[in-house]
Amino acid sequence: MTRTLPLLLLLLGPLARAATVNVTVRDARGGAVNDAVVYAVPEGRELPLAKKSAIMDQKNRMFVPHVLPVQTGTSVRFPNSDDIRHQVYSFSSAKQFQIPLYKGTPANPVVFDRAGVVSLGCSIHDRMTAYVVVVDTPYFATTDRKGRGAISSVGAGKYSLRVWYPDMTTEPAPVPLTLAASDNQELVVTVRK
Amino acid sequence: MRSFQAKLVYLTVAVLVLLLAAILIAVHVAGDRTMRRSIDDELHVGSRVLDQTLTLRGRQLSIAVRALASDFAFREAVASADRGTIVSALNNHADRVHADAAFLISLDGTVLAGTLGGQYFGRPFPVPSLLSEAAKHGESTAFVSFEGRPYQFVIVPILAPRPIDWVCMGFPIDDRVLNEVRSLTLLDASVWNPAAENPLMVSTLRQQQRTELASQMQQLGPRRSDATATIQLDNDPFQVLLHPLVTGDGSHIQMLLQRSIEEARRPYRKLELQIFALSLLALIGAVIAAIFFARGVSSPLHRLAAEAQQIEKGDYSSGLEFRQKDEIGKLAGAFDKMRKAIAEREEQIWVQATHDSLTGLPNRTLFFDRVAYSIVGAKRNSSLVGMIMMDLDRFKEINDTLGHHFGDQLLIEIGRRLRQTLREADTVARLGGDEFAVMFLADDESRAIDVAQRIGAALVTPFLLGGVSIEVAGSMGIALFPSHAEDAATLMKRADIAMYDAKKNHLQYAIYEPGRDEHSLRRLAILSELRHAIARDELDLHYQPKIDVRTGKAVHAEALVRWKHPVHGHLKPDEFIPLAEQSGNISMITKWVLRKAITHCGEWNASGVELTVAVNLSALDLFDAELPTYISGLLSEVGLPPSKLVLEITESAVMKDPIYALRILRDLKHRGVKLAIDDYGTGYSSLAHLKRLPVDELKIDKSFVLNLRNAATDDIVIVRSTIELGHNMGLRVIAEGVENDEAWQILKRLGCDMAQGYFISKPLPAPEFRAWMAEAQSSGVGQAFQPAPRAAG
Repeated sequence: MTRTLPLLLLLLGPLARAATVNVTVRDARGGAVNDAVVYAVPEGRELPLAKKSAIMDQKNRMFVPHVLPVQTGTSVRFPNSDDIRHQVYSFSSAKQFQIPLYKGTPANPVVFDRAGVVSLGCSIHDRMTAYVVVVDTPYFATTDRKGRGAISSVGAGKYSLRVWYPDMTTEPAPVPLTLAASDNQELVVTVRK
Repeated sequence: MRSFQAKLVYLTVAVLVLLLAAILIAVHVAGDRTMRRSIDDELHVGSRVLDQTLTLRGRQLSIAVRALASDFAFREAVASADRGTIVSALNNHADRVHADAAFLISLDGTVLAGTLGGQYFGRPFPVPSLLSEAAKHGESTAFVSFEGRPYQFVIVPILAPRPIDWVCMGFPIDDRVLNEVRSLTLLDASVWNPAAENPLMVSTLRQQQRTELASQMQQLGPRRSDATATIQLDNDPFQVLLHPLVTGDGSHIQMLLQRSIEEARRPYRKLELQIFALSLLALIGAVIAAIFFARGVSSPLHRLAAEAQQIEKGDYSSGLEFRQKDEIGKLAGAFDKMRKAIAEREEQIWVQATHDSLTGLPNRTLFFDRVAYSIVGAKRNSSLVGMIMMDLDRFKEINDTLGHHFGDQLLIEIGRRLRQTLREADTVARLGGDEFAVMFLADDESRAIDVAQRIGAALVTPFLLGGVSIEVAGSMGIALFPSHAEDAATLMKRADIAMYDAKKNHLQYAIYEPGRDEHSLRRLAILSELRHAIARDELDLHYQPKIDVRTGKAVHAEALVRWKHPVHGHLKPDEFIPLAEQSGNISMITKWVLRKAITHCGEWNASGVELTVAVNLSALDLFDAELPTYISGLLSEVGLPPSKLVLEITESAVMKDPIYALRILRDLKHRGVKLAIDDYGTGYSSLAHLKRLPVDELKIDKSFVLNLRNAATDDIVIVRSTIELGHNMGLRVIAEGVENDEAWQILKRLGCDMAQGYFISKPLPAPEFRAWMAEAQSSGVGQAFQPAPRAAG
C-alpha cells in the first residue's frame, strides 16, 4: 500500500484539487472490516487499460500484501523474498497461471487483464493465500484495521462505489456517488459478514 | 427293605441329591446369568469397537480424500471445467483411495460430475445435509444408504486455495470392514436397513443364517437406540445387538452384532459337567460311606436282635462279646446284664411256680410233669410208675385247735420225713393243704405197698413240735401205671379215688380198684342233677316207724328221703346226701324234707293217728341260723305242735363247730322241738360234751344193734351201758337196725325205750306207711308188739 500511494499520487498529480472519498467498512455488528477493497467505478465511461505494475511479495511463507487491488491490465510481479522455493498458482477464472517452483524474482510479471478476484495459492504451502482484486477503475483503496480506506484524487463525476472483501459471499449493493471537485466525502458501508 | 442301613443310605442320598441339585441349579442359574451378562457386555463393547472402527475409518478416509482433493493436477483438472476431464480425474482419484462412488459438487450443491454414468449430473446432491455439515466444518463424513448399500461418504472442499467445489467420495461398509470388527470382537456383524430392497446389506454370517436373520429381523422392526434380542439361527440361539447408526441421509441403517449363546455357554457347560461329575463322585462316596457306617451300627444290632430272639426262646446261655467302647458296646453290656438278670429271675419264678413255698417240695404242677415224664420213660422200658396220694387224718382239727403255725410246722416236718423215707429218685410233692403225693418207679405192685407201708411207719413216731407231741395218721391211695391208668392225669385221679376209699374204710392205704372211677363219675353226674331233683319232683319221703318197746305202739316215724333218679333208679341218702353237702344243696333238701314230713305228720295227726315225725339234720344245717325260724313257721303253718317233731343230729355234726351248733340246738329246743343224737357211739364226743347238748333222745348206732345176740358180746355191753347212761341223763334211748326177734327181745330186756328196724318195718312211702299204721292199730299192735319177721333189708 505504501508503495502504491506515491504511484497513485503520481498518476493523479495533474488532477489537482481532485476529490477524496473516505470509506469506512463495517460489518453488521459495527466491527471494522479489514482488508476490504473499496473502489469507485465511473459511470458511463470506459477507462483505458492501465499500463501499471504491482508487486505481490512472499515473505515468511506469506503473500504480502494479503489483498492487492489492481486496475485491469496491471502487471504484477511475484518476487520471492524467502530463502525457500514457492510455487504460485491461481485457478480463478479471472486469471489462471502458475509459476513453477522458483527463488528470487521471476523474469516475467503476470498481467491481470480481466476484472475479477484472483485467488492465489502456493502449491507446497497450503496456508499461503492472497487475493489480487482486479478492478476496472484506478480509484480504489484497501481498508486498514479500523476499516477505513481513503480513495483519493478522484475526479468529479458519477461513480458507483463497490466493496469486496475476502470470504465475501454476496456483493453488497453498489453505492451511487456523485463527486464534485475537491469534494471530500465520508462514506460508511455496512456489509454482511 | 426298611432296615436302618437302607434308611441311612436313603437319607444320605436324599440330602446329598438335594444339596447337589441345589448347587447345580445355582451354578447353572449363576452361570447363565453371568453368560448372558457377558454376552451383553461383549455386544456393547462390540458396538463401541464398531463405532470406533467406523469413526477411525471415516477420519482416515477423510484425510485420504482431503489429500486427494489438494492434488494439484486434480485441482487443475477440476479447474479445467471440461466435464470429460473432470469425470475421468474423479474416477482415477476415487480408485486411488478405493472409493466406490465419487462426486464433484458445486458450492451451491449441484452435482457437477459423478462416477456413476452421469445419472446425478446437474441435479442437487442427494445428501444435502452432508453439504451443509461440510460447509460448517470444512468437511464431513456420514453413513448413507446409497444404491442399496451402506456407505460412508466423505465430503471435502477443493481448495484453490479458497474452496471452489466439493468432492464427495463414497466407501462401502463391506465384508472387509465387518471382518475387521469380527477379528477384534469375535462377534458376527451385519448391516441392516429395513427400508432397503435387500435389507440385510452385508453380513459375516453364512448364507443360511443370513436368510434366517433377515426374516427374524423383519419381525423385530427398526430401533432408534441400542437394543438386544434373542433369535434363532440355524437352530442355535443368538443374542443380537441392534445398533442404529447416525446417518447423513436419515436412513435407518442398523449395525447388528450377533453372539452365539451356545458358544458363549460352552465353558459354563463344561464347568457344569465337571461339577456334576464331582457331585456324582461325592454321592457315590457318601453312599459307600453311609453303607459302611450303617453296617458298623446295624451288624452289632443284628447280633443283639438275634441274641434277643434266643432269650425270647428261653435260651439264656449265650453271652455276647462286644469289644466296642461306644454306645453300642454299652448297649450290649446292658443287654448282657439284663439277660443274666432275666435268667436268674426266671429260675426263681420257675422254682416258685413248681415248688411249694412252705415245704420246698415240688407242687402239683411239677409233680404232674414228672409223672408224665416218668410215664413216657416207663413206656419205653416197660416198667411201672407208682403213685401214692396221702391225705392227713384230722388235720383240720389240729389246725383249728393248735393254730395254723403249728399246722404249717407239722406239714414241713411230714414233708421232711417223707423225703427221708424215700429214695433220691422218688418224687415227694405237696399237692395242697394236707395232701401229699409220692411218685416212684417200681418193678411190681409189691414195691408200691412197700412204699406205702414205709410211709405209714414213718408217721408212727409222734411229732414233737413246740413242746406238743402229736400223732398223725394219713390215708393213702395207690395207683400204678400201666395197670390203672395210661396217663398222668388219670393216674393222679385214680390215686385220689383210692385214697378216698382208704379214708372211707378207715384203712392206712388202698390200691385203686378198677371200676371205682366209673362210680365216681356217676357221683359227679348225680351231683349235677341233684340241683334239679326238687324242681322235677324226683324226691320222695319214706317213713320207718319207731316202736315203743314197752307198749309195742308206733310212736315215731323217721322220714327218710329217696331219689327216684330217672336213670339210676331209687337212690339212698347215703349216695347223694354227702354230695348235696359238698355241693351246698343240702339246705335246700333239708327244707324240702322238713316241709314234706311236717305236712304228712300234720295230716296223720289230724286223721287221728298220733305220731311224732323225725327228720335228720345235716351238719351243715347247724350253721343255718334261719333254720329254727323256718321250722317254727312250718309247724304253725301246718298246725303241728313242736313236740311232734324230732330232729336227729349226729355227734360229728355237732362237733364241726360245737359252739355255733349248740346255739342253734338251744334255739330249737327253746321252740319246743325235740332233739335226738343219731348214730351214737361212732363219734369221739366226750360224755361231758354230750351232757351239754340239749337233747331228748339218744339213738344207738345200728352197728352195735345188728349183731346183738344173747351170747355175751361187747355189743351187748355197749348197748346196755348206753341205755343206762341215756336213762341216767334223762334221755330216751332208741335202737335202730333191729332186724330180728332176738335183738328185739334183748332190747326189751335191757329197757330200751324205742326200736326201729327191718324187723318192725322197712321204710315205706307215705301212703303205704299210712296203711301199715292202720293195719297195726287194727291188729292190736298197740297192745304188745309181736311183729312177724319180714324180709330183712
